[in-house]
Amino acid sequence: MKIIKGLCNFTSLVSRFIVLFYLMVLSGPLAYAAVGCQLNDPDRDVKQLFPQSTGYKTDFISIKEAGGLPLYKKIETILADKLDSIYETIDVPYSFYTILKGKEIIGYIHGVNQKGMFGGMQLILSTDITGKIINFYYQKISSPEAARFMDNNFTNKFIGLSLEDFLKREIYITDPSKDSNDDFKATLRGLKKNLILLHELKVK
Amino acid sequence: MKIIKNNMKIFSIFLVFFGMLMTLAFSAENLFYKEVNLIGGYGHNNKWIGKDQELTNSLGFEDYRKFSNDYGDFLTTDLQLRVAYDSLENSHKAWGVQIHNAFAQFNLGSGKKLKFGHFDPGFGLEPVLDTHATILQTLMSRNIGFKKDWGVGFKVIAPWFDFDAALQLGSGMSIYRRDNSFLSTLRISKPNNNNLQYGLSFMYGDILQTMGMNTFPRADIIGKTISKKRVGLDSQYLYGPFLFKAETAYGNDDHDEVLGYLFETDYTLPKNQNIEMQLQIQSWLHDIKAKKSDDTTLSVGISYKINQNITIRTAFIHDLNLMEGNEDHKGIMQFYFSGL
Repeated sequence: MKIIKGLCNFTSLVSRFIVLFYLMVLSGPLAYAAVGCQLNDPDRDVKQLFPQSTGYKTDFISIKEAGGLPLYKKIETILADKLDSIYETIDVPYSFYTILKGKEIIGYIHGVNQKGMFGGMQLILSTDITGKIINFYYQKISSPEAARFMDNNFTNKFIGLSLEDFLKREIYITDPSKDSNDDFKATLRGLKKNLILLHELKVK
Repeated sequence: MKIIKNNMKIFSIFLVFFGMLMTLAFSAENLFYKEVNLIGGYGHNNKWIGKDQELTNSLGFEDYRKFSNDYGDFLTTDLQLRVAYDSLENSHKAWGVQIHNAFAQFNLGSGKKLKFGHFDPGFGLEPVLDTHATILQTLMSRNIGFKKDWGVGFKVIAPWFDFDAALQLGSGMSIYRRDNSFLSTLRISKPNNNNLQYGLSFMYGDILQTMGMNTFPRADIIGKTISKKRVGLDSQYLYGPFLFKAETAYGNDDHDEVLGYLFETDYTLPKNQNIEMQLQIQSWLHDIKAKKSDDTTLSVGISYKINQNITIRTAFIHDLNLMEGNEDHKGIMQFYFSGL
C-alpha cells in the first residue's frame, strides 16, 4: 500500500513537471544543443598562441544562425562526410575567439569536439586572419597514446596548412601512433571540420 | 513577513544589478540554457525519495553572457537559477528558489580577473568540475558545508600556475552575515597539460551551519559558526577511456582534527561513447582521533547521453558508515535536460 502511494505521489510530481516543462519550452525560443568546444583557459591560451595580442572577443555562432540547412548541407559536402546527428547538430553554438592587438584583428582561435577511439578529443587551432594554421594542439584526447599525438613533433607539422590543403588532400603527415590509426583519422577529420567551420561561420 | 521583505529587497537589488548589466550599451554574446531536473529513487531508510543530497526536482535556467568592446571581452556574467521542490520537506517549505552561479567577472587584463557574486570557493576539485547536475559530487559539501558562497574572488593566470583566491560570507546558498562569519580560500593549480591537472588548496574561515539548498526562502541556520582550517590536494588524469579523479582535505573544525578523501574513476564505453560508468568512494572523518567518526559512501553510477541536451543518470549509493548511524543504501534515477 505504501509502495503504491509512493508511486502515485512520484508519478503525480513527474507529470506536473512534464507539463511545466512543455509550457516552458513552448513559451520560449526553441531549445538548442549544448555549446561546442570552448577553451579551458582563454586568457592563458590566447597569450601563449598570440604573445603580441592585447585582447580577444568571444562569439557563439551556430550553423543554424549562419545559414541554416543549406549551409549545414554545404559543410557536409565540403567535409565529404555526414555530421554527427547527436554532437554535430545544426544548432550547436561554436565558440570563436577573435584575437586583437588594440582594435586590429590579428588572428583566430577555434576548437572542435571530435569523436575518437576511446572518447572525445578537443582540437584547438589558431590561425592568421586568412585561416592559415599558426598552431595546433589537443586540449583533450582520450587515447592511451595521447603523448604521441600531443607531441610537438606531430602537431607542428600542421603549421602553415590551410583549408585548401585539406580539400586538395595535400596533407603529407604520417600517423604518429602505433595502434591508434582511427584517432589519427579522427584528428584529420576534426581539423578539416574546424577549418571549414572557421571559414564558413567566421572568416567569410 | 520581515524575512520575506528582507529577501525580496536583496533579490530585487540583485535583479536590478543584472538587468543593468544586460542593458549596457556594449555588444554581448549570450547563451541561455533551459534546465529540467527530474530525480527520484528508492532507499532502504526513506523508501521512495524525490531527491538526492542537494539535487531535487527542479526547473531552471542559466544565462551566460560575454560583454565586449572594440578591444575585446571585458566582462562575463553567469546566472544559474532553479525553482526546486524538496519532497522530504513539509508542503510550506518544499518549494524554494536556488541561486547557484550568480556572478560578474571582470577581465582586468594581463591574466587577472575580479569576480563578484555567488560562485565556487577556490578549494579542491569543485572549481574545475561541473557538478551542477550530477548525482556524484565532490568533497566540497562535506568539507565546507556548501558548494558555492557569496563574495569576491580574484584570479591570476601566471605562466606556470593559476592562483584562485576568494573572500566570501561563509553562509553558502543564502545571504547571511552572522557571528562575523567568513570564508577565505586559495587554490594554486597547474593548468591542464598532457591530460593531467592538479592543485593545492588552502581554506580558513568561520562557517555558518545552514540547512537546505534554497536561497529564497533562506536556509535555516543551525548552531553556531564553526572555525575551519584546511589544506587540500586534488588531481585529475585522463588515460584512454578512463578519467581518474582524486582529492583530499585535512585540517580542523574548531578543536577536532578532520580528514576527507575521494577517489573516482569514470569510464567511457569506446563502442558507445554516450555511455559512461562511474565508481566513487568518498569519506569524511569528523574527528580523526575518534572511532567510527567517518561518513563513508560507495557509489556506482551509469549515465547515458541521449543527445546534446538530455542525459539519463542512475546511481547506486551505499553508506559504508555514518557517524550518526542510520546507514542507507539507495538507487537513484535522474532525467536531466539542458538546452539553449
